[in-house]
Amino acid sequence: MNWLLDIIESSIGKKLLMALTGLGFCVFLFGHLAGNLTIYGGKDAFNSYAEHLHSLGPILTVAEIGLLIFAMVHILSGIFLFWGNLKARPQRYVMKKSAGGRTIGSRTMPYTGFLVLLFVIFHLMNFHFVDKTNTTIFQIVQNAFSDPIYVGIYIAAMLVVGIHVSHGFWSAFQTLGANHPKYMPLIKGLSICFSLIVGMGFGFLPIYFLFML
Amino acid sequence: MQLDSKVPGGPLSEKWDKHLFDLKLVNPANKRKFEIIVVGTGLAGGSASATLAELGYNVKTFCIQDSPRRAHSIAAQGGINAAKNYSNDGDSVWRLFYDTVKGGDYRSREANVYRLAQVSNNIIDQCVAQGVPFAREYGGLLANRSFGGAQVSRTFYARGQTGQQLLIGAYSALSRQIAVGKVKLFTRRDMLDLVLVNGKARGIVTRNLVNGNIETHAADAVVLATGGYGNTFYLSTNAMASNVSAAYSAYKKGAFFANPCYTQIHPTCIPVHGTYQSKLTLMSESLRNDGRVWVPRNPGDKRHPGQIPESERDYYLENKYPSFGNLVPRDVASRNAKLQCDQGKGVGETGLAVYLDFKDAIQRDGKDVIAKKYGNLFQMYEKITADNPYETPMMIYPAVHYTMGGLWVDYNLMSTIPGLFVLGEANFSDHGANRLGASALMQGLADGYFIIPYTIGGYLAGTKLEKVSTDDAGFKATAEDVKTRIQKLLSIGGKRTVDDFHRQLGNIMWEYCGMARTAKGLTKAKNLITELRAEFWENVLVSGSGDQFNQSLEKAGRVADFIEFGKLMVLDALARKESCGGHFNEDYQTEENEAKRDDESFCHVAAWEYAGEENEPNFHKEALHFENVTLTQRSYK
Amino acid sequence: MTRSNGKKNINLTLKVWRQVGSDVKGRLETYQANNISTDMSFLEMLDVVNEELIINHRDPIAFDHDCREGICGMCGAVVNGRAHGPEKGTTLCQLHMRHFSDRDTVIIEPWRSRAFKIIKDLVVDRSALDAIIQAGGYISVSAGGTPDANVIPVPQEAAEKAMDAAACIGCGACIAACPNASAMLFVGAKVSHLALLPQGAPEAARRVLKMVQKMDDCGFGNCTNERECEAVCPKEISITNIARLNREYIKAGFL
Repeated sequence: MNWLLDIIESSIGKKLLMALTGLGFCVFLFGHLAGNLTIYGGKDAFNSYAEHLHSLGPILTVAEIGLLIFAMVHILSGIFLFWGNLKARPQRYVMKKSAGGRTIGSRTMPYTGFLVLLFVIFHLMNFHFVDKTNTTIFQIVQNAFSDPIYVGIYIAAMLVVGIHVSHGFWSAFQTLGANHPKYMPLIKGLSICFSLIVGMGFGFLPIYFLFML
Repeated sequence: MQLDSKVPGGPLSEKWDKHLFDLKLVNPANKRKFEIIVVGTGLAGGSASATLAELGYNVKTFCIQDSPRRAHSIAAQGGINAAKNYSNDGDSVWRLFYDTVKGGDYRSREANVYRLAQVSNNIIDQCVAQGVPFAREYGGLLANRSFGGAQVSRTFYARGQTGQQLLIGAYSALSRQIAVGKVKLFTRRDMLDLVLVNGKARGIVTRNLVNGNIETHAADAVVLATGGYGNTFYLSTNAMASNVSAAYSAYKKGAFFANPCYTQIHPTCIPVHGTYQSKLTLMSESLRNDGRVWVPRNPGDKRHPGQIPESERDYYLENKYPSFGNLVPRDVASRNAKLQCDQGKGVGETGLAVYLDFKDAIQRDGKDVIAKKYGNLFQMYEKITADNPYETPMMIYPAVHYTMGGLWVDYNLMSTIPGLFVLGEANFSDHGANRLGASALMQGLADGYFIIPYTIGGYLAGTKLEKVSTDDAGFKATAEDVKTRIQKLLSIGGKRTVDDFHRQLGNIMWEYCGMARTAKGLTKAKNLITELRAEFWENVLVSGSGDQFNQSLEKAGRVADFIEFGKLMVLDALARKESCGGHFNEDYQTEENEAKRDDESFCHVAAWEYAGEENEPNFHKEALHFENVTLTQRSYK
Repeated sequence: MTRSNGKKNINLTLKVWRQVGSDVKGRLETYQANNISTDMSFLEMLDVVNEELIINHRDPIAFDHDCREGICGMCGAVVNGRAHGPEKGTTLCQLHMRHFSDRDTVIIEPWRSRAFKIIKDLVVDRSALDAIIQAGGYISVSAGGTPDANVIPVPQEAAEKAMDAAACIGCGACIAACPNASAMLFVGAKVSHLALLPQGAPEAARRVLKMVQKMDDCGFGNCTNERECEAVCPKEISITNIARLNREYIKAGFL
């Protein structure tokens, strides 16, 4: 297995881990969003979606462990890459300007990534590690989003996620070697669409709770 | 001393094969016992280093830049010739040989040129195998084009970057040998002197350009591939670091210098714009296929070209040479541009330019067709001049481009110093008095890949080489000489900068030893250079010290050599009382102002032997014998 | 595109990074560049400043340069925050002063990367790039014994793409401009050049593994697809070459 270690230790190897786990999270986000959209179907629809999900039992546990491992890998390789990049230029420029390559997304990846991590912990504490006896998930959500501060935090977090994904999505394809003049414009377009869908899809939910319900 | 070219006997086409068989071989196991120094990493030096290492020799390679990949071979645009006859248009080794001898105005060595044409095909095979991305046809086979007025399509090319791609090929082969430890690479080193032991070349003295250390290196043979001396003219298409110092130091140690007056002046360069211009940029001569060269009919006409009516324009090449028109060879086109400017008809701010007009071609073929052919050149021109050649005519002027002269070498590429081999532009042998387009790359690689690997073996196997070490007195003394000279340069503390002197030398050379020469002008130049040299050593100002990174000091040494060498060029030009190729002496011209050769008296190589600082060099002659071609006069009317 | 508005001579304030050696602290120093013709190249402007410094017995600014026609890759500096200055597809030697305005302040810094030690002022040691090539950036064929050049046809498109990548001049601007000082565009260009040609196929896997390993050992940063490299590349080499490098690496590593 030495060969695998060699690959993982290389800069491209770490990037591959970032890309694969990142794409994994994109798939997860998509599924999560699809599930959350049941909220628009009303209280019962949403609760029944949650029940269905929990009835999966061990499969769900495996998925959760999988997500946790993905998160660990994504975070750890991100830290290694970030640290390596800091070291690669010990003396900074007095003046540095973009020549037009960077975007808000690419520029802020490590920072948006860190914020997303904080948010995920916050989010899990709000909705996952809570006492769910005598209450439904819908109530928990409704409770949380009755507080404008919570709503504000969630909307801001979704903005950050959208920015992170806007670079992460196409970047993952590039890292996996999938850059072809024919298809790259499509991938970049998808990247923007996806970040908008994720940002607005999730971001609108708290507003919906605050004002519509 | 009688010059012996060591050209083998027998029919022309069998000479090289016969010679290869006659050369002694070094036993494979013994090759690793030999150490070879190669100076320069252009096409000739890079390919020689790699190939000698592949054979098993231990090679030490030196370059002036921070990487071997930056040698000025990289700037060659057009292409490389080979007698493949892939175009099925009747090309052959014989035709390439014949064209090259004729193009050189019958002043090159037949046997060398024939060998060059013979190995030209191997070069293409070698480069393709190395991954040089030559242009290809849709079917996947190699594309060829006709270049420099050749009647056949024999030029292989990689866009306008053929030199770069060939050099990357040689550099990658060299890198492979560095990785296996057969080549030890020394970058940012300036070769400042050659070390002789018992009359043989056994080492060099270099300056480490980073820390100023003077270093000595010993070897069994020394190979110089240090390029041409075009920068004697200050402004040329050469790179800033291109210099004559390595070759000149060998000359001072006894290597003869051959035909120094042969310089090629390229007609289509972007004109000089100001005193502080550092370099001239070449525009491919393919532009003359569609552009029309003209100047205003009336001297001093400073109107915008668009306001000068057709009737007041002089398309002087078309008028003077009806059958060749704008496509006359390089030397003819250059000379006529100078003639027009001398009559006050030059255009632009300096009056030292002529128009190259694409208006008629655009009207005839449409802008798209012209853009497809020359788009990147037009873009480059616009980048430099901020003028749009689609709308206003280009301005061009001739510039020093290549030097055919160089250290004298025999058929084995060995100079008059045993053990000192000279390759590429640094030697004199293959281009005669004028080089054809796309032949320089061919010669550099032929010398490095396919000639020196064999001939150096013949020398090493057949010569008794005593053990030497850099601790020997000879090395120490030479290193001391180098240090003394550096100290002297630094201690003068005068009032004029090195560049200032270089510019003045350039002006003298360009004025009197440039496109058109006269005995009177050359004599004047000789005196001017003598004065300049005296002033240089009294009044030059070099900043900094010798034990640091010091570009001012680097330049000072080079310019000191250029000044002395300039005088040698002038002497050679004075001695050659004829006109041929890159040497046009106005005193020797036909009634129609064309170059007039004197085959009776000057069908020879002029080889100069250094005779001390205060004396004029000794002249030696290698007679040229043409057994296979008939000498004719060129005509383009 | 021309900023000097037809004005023939301009005056500039230069702030140039001066540093006498790799382990000495450097700093920006201010110089006046007066009466600079807008036809000059950036390096010719520096020549003028240096002539004046030498005459006044001050240390001239050290900068690397050679061909001055944009092909040797020797020159380069970060000018006002941009590698090779503000113009696209241009080396520093081909940047002309007409792109500056009278009384501009111009900040000039060397390439900055852990892998490029400063030798003096704007001169840096780029031998790491050579080390990467030595690790495998070649096709292992010795002189002689190669087949006829037309034995293996190469599709024109492949040859053209290889040429696009091979146009790299090794100047190091991609590394200087990369926020992470990553050398992926340089390595990507070289790997692509050889991987696209059938001649390079036999040792493609070995080549990419060795070159990437050497790249990492030299201390370059990691690519995060910021695309600054292709934006400053004087030969406008595309990051599709980085994707191809990744592809080649995956192929070599896992197959």
